[in-house]
Amino acid sequence: MARKVRELLDIPADEFDVVVRIVREEDIAVARQMAKQLAQGLGFSLADVTKVATAVSELARNIYRYAQTGKIMIRKRLEENGGPTIQVVAVDHGPGIEDVDLVLTKGYTTYERSLGIGLSGIRRLVDSFEIVSEVGTGTAVVVEKRRRKF
Amino acid sequence: MTFKERVVPTIRVGDCLLVPIQIDLDDKTVEQLQAQLLAEIQEQRVRAIILDVRMVEVIDSYISYTLSETAAMARLMGCRAVICGIRPPVALTLAQMGIELQGFLVARDLEHALNLVYSP
Repeated sequence: MARKVRELLDIPADEFDVVVRIVREEDIAVARQMAKQLAQGLGFSLADVTKVATAVSELARNIYRYAQTGKIMIRKRLEENGGPTIQVVAVDHGPGIEDVDLVLTKGYTTYERSLGIGLSGIRRLVDSFEIVSEVGTGTAVVVEKRRRKF
Repeated sequence: MTFKERVVPTIRVGDCLLVPIQIDLDDKTVEQLQAQLLAEIQEQRVRAIILDVRMVEVIDSYISYTLSETAAMARLMGCRAVICGIRPPVALTLAQMGIELQGFLVARDLEHALNLVYSP
């Protein structure tokens, strides 16, 4: 796990189509907007554009809240069979998460103004979801969404 | 409340306050909107606030949280809170995430919202 966290934290930003540094609260909206544009450009359905944008919004907010700074990196991938896929990698060098399973529980939160629905909700909006974290090193979340015909 | 303090322009219709949200909601604007609406409920003594979110393309967990909290606050001030015009992709996303927009009466459109407000 620790190695995987560092690996993901060290992915070079130039391998991505879009990189948004999350520093200020306004950056959450910027990341959301960029994700939306990329998904629209790839011909995702309106429903899936909304899901991707919402997932990115949650990921960016988690960075801002718990780690203060971090990055949202987004790239498109062309899979051999099936349509294009959007991959979002959210990384931070924040405090890390002690119990990853616990934070994935719906309703769990350490933040007072929160539904505790962010991470568990994201998982239901995307096709694949992975979270790795190490206390003291940081956290990385990788999500993917495939384009599908409606 | 002066025009400048409003993040969203509101329209008084009868004893309701219509709130057509036509901007992209981010964390700061939704917080400002909450403060604005509470001030307007007090100033205008309306029976209900009706949030029209037809133009809102993304409602995530924090925006939902703050809107629901606003609805609860409005009710504590004796004012109903109605939300209407949730777009299909937003409804889909909220439902899949398990977000219910507690505290609101939910209406299809403005007409339905007004019916709800004036129903006993």
